Amino acid sequence: MQGIRVLLVDDEEDFRKTLANRLGKRKFEVSEAPGGMEALDSLARQAFDVVVLDVRMPGMDGLEVLKRVKESHPLTEVIMLTGHASVESGIEGMRLGAFDYLMKPCDINDLTVKIQDAYQRKLTLS
Amino acid sequence: MVELFGFLKKRREGKLREAEQEMAAVRRTFTRRYLNFKSLLSTNDQVLEIINELEQVLLAGSGFGMSLVRSRCTALSVNLYKIIQNLNQITGGRFPELPEVFQGIWERIDRELKHRKTDPSGELVLPLEAVTREMSGLAGGKMANLGEVKNRLGLPVPDGFVITAAAYQIFIDHNDLQEEINRRFQLLDPGDLAGLHETSAEIQQLITRAVLPPQLAAAIAGAYQRLQDRFGGPVRVSLRSSALGEDAQEASFAGQYRSLLNVSEEFLLLSYKEVAASKYSVPAITYRLSRGFHDEDILMAVGCMTMIPARVSGVMYSTDPGDETREAVLINAVWGLGKSVVDGSLTPDLFLISKSEPARILKKEIQPKGQQFVCQTEEGVELQTVPEGERLSPSLTDAQARRLAEVALALEKHFGQPQDIEWAFAPDGSLQIMQSRPLIIPEKGTEKPGPDTVVEIDRPLLFSGGVTASPGAACGPVFKVETSVDLLQFPTGAVLVTRNPLPQWAAVLSRASALVTDQGAITGHLAAVAREFNVPALLGTGQATRALDQGEIITVDADGTRVYAGRAEALLQQAGEKVNVMKGSPVEITLRRLLKHIAPLTLTDPEAPNFSPRGCQTLHDIIRFAHEMSLRELFDDQQEVSFSEKLAKKMTGDLPMQWWVIDLEGGLRAGISGGTIGPADVLSRPLLALWEGLRAVPWQGPPAVDAKGFLSILAESAMDTSLEAGTGSGYGAKNYVLASENFCHLSTRLGFHFSTVEAFLGEKAAESYIWFYFKGGGADLFRKEQRGHLIRSVLEQFGFWVTVRGDIISARLERQDRPTLLQGLQVLGYLILHTRQLDMVLGDPAKVQGYKEKMLREIGTFLQASGPGVG
Repeated sequence: MQGIRVLLVDDEEDFRKTLANRLGKRKFEVSEAPGGMEALDSLARQAFDVVVLDVRMPGMDGLEVLKRVKESHPLTEVIMLTGHASVESGIEGMRLGAFDYLMKPCDINDLTVKIQDAYQRKLTLS
Repeated sequence: MVELFGFLKKRREGKLREAEQEMAAVRRTFTRRYLNFKSLLSTNDQVLEIINELEQVLLAGSGFGMSLVRSRCTALSVNLYKIIQNLNQITGGRFPELPEVFQGIWERIDRELKHRKTDPSGELVLPLEAVTREMSGLAGGKMANLGEVKNRLGLPVPDGFVITAAAYQIFIDHNDLQEEINRRFQLLDPGDLAGLHETSAEIQQLITRAVLPPQLAAAIAGAYQRLQDRFGGPVRVSLRSSALGEDAQEASFAGQYRSLLNVSEEFLLLSYKEVAASKYSVPAITYRLSRGFHDEDILMAVGCMTMIPARVSGVMYSTDPGDETREAVLINAVWGLGKSVVDGSLTPDLFLISKSEPARILKKEIQPKGQQFVCQTEEGVELQTVPEGERLSPSLTDAQARRLAEVALALEKHFGQPQDIEWAFAPDGSLQIMQSRPLIIPEKGTEKPGPDTVVEIDRPLLFSGGVTASPGAACGPVFKVETSVDLLQFPTGAVLVTRNPLPQWAAVLSRASALVTDQGAITGHLAAVAREFNVPALLGTGQATRALDQGEIITVDADGTRVYAGRAEALLQQAGEKVNVMKGSPVEITLRRLLKHIAPLTLTDPEAPNFSPRGCQTLHDIIRFAHEMSLRELFDDQQEVSFSEKLAKKMTGDLPMQWWVIDLEGGLRAGISGGTIGPADVLSRPLLALWEGLRAVPWQGPPAVDAKGFLSILAESAMDTSLEAGTGSGYGAKNYVLASENFCHLSTRLGFHFSTVEAFLGEKAAESYIWFYFKGGGADLFRKEQRGHLIRSVLEQFGFWVTVRGDIISARLERQDRPTLLQGLQVLGYLILHTRQLDMVLGDPAKVQGYKEKMLREIGTFLQASGPGVG
């Protein structure tokens, strides 16, 4: 896991902080962003391997963030997290190039493996 | 005659006016009553249809949950309430005790619905050394078994404790979650996979965000502290679901819930909530639904055990289900943690060990093992690359394999049936048992032809290889599943083709015809679920996702480990039936018990003394009673002399039945005196059309009944005396028509049949309709259905939208122009006359076809003769 750079984008602070903490314990290099704009700023400043993105956020919608991420950083893999948002948006997300999506609250083991898988794909594509 | 006497004349005019006024008042009253009656009829039909639906659901046995049952029961109660109110409204409150009787029946239904919830009481947390098999009611099946293994068999099991079902219950109660959960399920259409995912996500979030009651948090922390004290330092634990109620029948629930590995103290409580929440994972919800489990019966106990950073681990079956002689122990093993065996992400090494002494190694298949799951230092597990030198070496020594087989046999002996066992060897070489649960071995269904029988397959072989994880053969289009999004689009009947048999794919397994994977072994969770649902499964083919194209039709021969292009009939004919996994399930049993208060008709004879509110024992009785009483109220000339004498006129003419017509407004020629009318007096356009159809072809009397048909009628009559024609009440023999110029409502009880035709020919096509409802018949269900199909196929020729459910036929023709509607009414008139007692002769499908042709011919002839735009 060492060296896999993960950007966690979620407006729910409790959830985001806990998840960042748990992923950190699992030796990912985790950064956080509370919204879509902040996420795009972070991506502009710094390279990430995998973005874990909540689909429904106030302000910029997760799908919109996904679209922009894939435009500006086509090699960065995006894993969508969805809770209340419609599953339609999950399908739409896959169409827009997301690596996969997970339902909240996601299994931390699953997420860990997914991030690794996404990272593997990034390596094979770059 | 007495015109000369002016005062007399005046008096007479006064009387006429009086009569007119009275008539108008009567008509008003009547119209009001009639509206009540109409609403009663439609509610009546709705209710009967709901009952019918519940019965059909029970018969079909396909997955239905309590939310369907509850919602239908709610609909029943609301409609019954309306029916009773309606009846008391038209009769002026003649049956005040009926609401009370209804209340009584409803309470019985409610008791069944509320369902004796398993109410666990006891310790919130139990140390594993205090747990034995009998304690599954508190510790859940999985942990109770594991306690048994540790404490009664003395086999090595990791140290730990169980957060019990009582703990789960107070957690849910503390947050008032159950009602909210039920509410969300009520809103969910079980067929809607996307909605299911959302509901699952929402409920799981509710649970993970809920607050643990302080005493529970303290109990868990205390138990964890004691574990640390014994261990002498910080411990990492694994959290494993151990649900209650899943052992109600042979149910595996394999892998439907979450297990969390290598959890640190910091995330212990959150992890507990996550495992508890996984009761509502999509596969678990789907599974409960298709196996008919009550949501409230399943309580999540959670096992919490010290984490073993295993060197090698896996799953073993104390009896290899693939071996006909049942003489071998099957072991799957991988480097690192056993997670990759149960979730099918790697194809493990395979060892077969003889059960007989001395233990011999019968087979050894070593797979290349490129990756392994290992514990991370702080928390969690990760997938690591296996060191080069170990990839191709066996993960178990022969001695270890034999040791495992020995343990497997001891467990099988102790539990009295084959076991599915998770095990691990710790770095120090010690063996630990993580789980032992009953292994479901599918019974050999239909007799398989022996190995000598050659089945000729005329389809090209696509590939062969892999292991039979669940026997059988099936055919369907390929549907590849790679991500959870693909799951949402999984078509019923498709072959699920995927790289790894992940447990979450179980959500669609019950709608899949077969399962084929690249990776995996028969000891994985998904394989267990496939066996349970009797879905043929071929795992570890190494090539399925590459070799097969999306949408391609294939036949999977799981027994022969082969996949063919197209439909290989010869194989499919041997394949057994799909099992009805609902049979005997808790939800099915509940529905059966509920229906006892709902469906049977005990008030069969309207003349019998018990035909009273107090005599009603079921909801169906109340419906029957209310229906009969409403009819009497409306039509009984004994009680409402003033009505029927003035309003209902007997139809004379060449019809083979008695007709009574009540004029609502402009339905009959004005100024008819006396109590009889002829066809020429009828002005109601829909009624005229119906009439025309009734008279068009003379009825030739009841058809000749074959002996079987007659016997079936006798049998049905003996079962349900309400079917006796006319039952002597007098009402059965009469046919009533309420008619106005553009409206008619006809209610017919002919022998065993009850039918209603209602038509309104409005100004606009959009408000016009014909509605036809038909129920009953003396013959058995098969013959009634035959007749149903006959009537449907005829009506559909004329544009009707027809549904047939059991012996109920309901047909609608709407939004059509007037000639089409009039023609539809003629056809209905013809059918009402000519289909009676037809069910008795419809024993064989060839006859049905014969009758259909004859009817269409006759209808065609008279429609042509009457020309378009009749009436």
